[in-house]
Amino acid sequence: MNEPILRTERLAKRFDGVVATNDVSISVPRGELRCIIGPNGAGKSTLFSLLCGIYRPDAGFVFLKGEDVTRLPAFRRVRRGLGLTFQTNRAFHRLSVRQNLSAVLQIDRADRPADAERRYRFALERFGLDPDSEMPAKELPHHKLQWLEIAMVLAAGPDIVLLDEPTAGMSTDETLQTGAVLKHLNASGLTIVVVEHDVAFVRDVAQRVTVVHQGRVFAEGTVDEITEHADVRRIYLGKV
Amino acid sequence: MGRLSHLLKLLTGPEDIGRSPLFWAAFVAVSIFLFVYPFWLTEFEVTNIAYYLLNVPIALGLGLLWGYCGVLSFGQVAYFGIAGYVYGIVAGNMIGEAAGPIIGSLCGLAVSALVAAIFGYFVFYGRVQSWIVPILTLVLTLLLETFLGQTAGYQWRIGSVQLGGYNGMTGIPAFRLGEYVVMGYRFYYYVLITVIMTYLCLRLLVNSRHGKVMLAIREDAIRAELLGYDIRARQLVVFVLAAILAGVSGLLYVQWGNYITPSQVGLLQASLPVIWVAVGGRESLLAVLLSTCALNWLNYTLSSEGYQYALIITGALLVAVMLFFPSGIVVALARDLPKRGLRALLHGGEGDAG
Repeated sequence: MNEPILRTERLAKRFDGVVATNDVSISVPRGELRCIIGPNGAGKSTLFSLLCGIYRPDAGFVFLKGEDVTRLPAFRRVRRGLGLTFQTNRAFHRLSVRQNLSAVLQIDRADRPADAERRYRFALERFGLDPDSEMPAKELPHHKLQWLEIAMVLAAGPDIVLLDEPTAGMSTDETLQTGAVLKHLNASGLTIVVVEHDVAFVRDVAQRVTVVHQGRVFAEGTVDEITEHADVRRIYLGKV
Repeated sequence: MGRLSHLLKLLTGPEDIGRSPLFWAAFVAVSIFLFVYPFWLTEFEVTNIAYYLLNVPIALGLGLLWGYCGVLSFGQVAYFGIAGYVYGIVAGNMIGEAAGPIIGSLCGLAVSALVAAIFGYFVFYGRVQSWIVPILTLVLTLLLETFLGQTAGYQWRIGSVQLGGYNGMTGIPAFRLGEYVVMGYRFYYYVLITVIMTYLCLRLLVNSRHGKVMLAIREDAIRAELLGYDIRARQLVVFVLAAILAGVSGLLYVQWGNYITPSQVGLLQASLPVIWVAVGGRESLLAVLLSTCALNWLNYTLSSEGYQYALIITGALLVAVMLFFPSGIVVALARDLPKRGLRALLHGGEGDAG
């Protein structure tokens, strides 16, 4: 089981000549809580789209649990245990909370992790979401809408989740709550990769940090290593 | 017993308006009324009512595809026409054989489903963007109209049946089960049972696991795919099902009037199912059912005043509904009436207390 749960090899993607992802090789071990940081336009969201299969890379490979999934469509990666939330919230806004959650629970995966149901129930409880609520999702406060999308992803029973700025637009208190839930889920064995701008949040949750800059992996290390890294401070942290 | 209660639970599930015991009591009462009241009508009147009803399956299919799955097809009449023509060809060549109409019906539905499956495969597996789908489906039906329009002449004869160009195909045999030729009163019951069964089966479907996923695909296909669903396959299945339902209406139509012309798959006819569905409310099967019956009745009644006039009314109705009730008249009423009724009751109660 030394094979990392998620690994990329020299991943590259360009749009009309603009290089969005350039030669990215990262490796996320099972059970880690990884944060990916970097300035706006660094290629973080493109990287997520490549990992989950929305985009096909121009070059390179994506391995999920040791299997090459580079050519697989997104839904097949999800069925192999990958979950993703989007940078802009994409819960089904016109549907009720119940419909949002019940839209997810319709697939039986043979290799669903044993803890999946417990993680999902835990998240519902801590996020204060009622799975039977007929309230349209768009009427939820912003942070609950963010939480709803996370709960939906957990309902599918993933082994690894990619969260693209899950705390965007949240208050300090809501961000702290989100961090606490993520840390608890991670402690139960769920691998989590988070793209985040909020440095306090990153300090709070991250076990390791990958810094992306101009489409490349710029640096990688523990939170302390990264915050001490002179070049990282210059390109990113210094601006905050 | 367990299975029966499961079915009932699905049937009364939350994905359509009309869920209260009162609704179901009314539904049963109206169904019984529809079965009984032809005794007071002439055969001619009953046959006219059958005509209002026979368009319900194509409309329900479009409601399912557009309102529940988010795929707007502007060419459902293509499958209506294919089923009708294929039935005419097969049953017409088997006149005198008792099984002819049944085999003809099955062939009609099978060819509709096959064409939809091939067309849908390229559309959905090619991940064609959703706004292009209505155009492609419309193009298909217009191509079919053009093709059928040039089939005048003796060389366009299949067995003993003439395709007939713009004059269409005539002398299409009525449906029959053994010795029973399904005409007049019998045809009315045959249509009525088909319509009620179609509605109930689709209600089961939209409340099933597959139905819940359809809603997710309608709202955001990429998000749905990233919850683990093969959206291509699911959209294709619904598309083929809607085509089969369009085919059912096509069969009923040719069995009712014994003829079909290429204008049945033309632009005007292609727009009608979209209007029926939009006016009632595409996100409710019940709304589609009611508005299709009502608009067909309206159209038929107005037609006696002059056909152009009827079309203008129908078109104006569509514009008015899109402006004032974008979710459809029936859906808007179902949503607002209970609230207003309740409020009136509550105010009445307060008044008494004061």
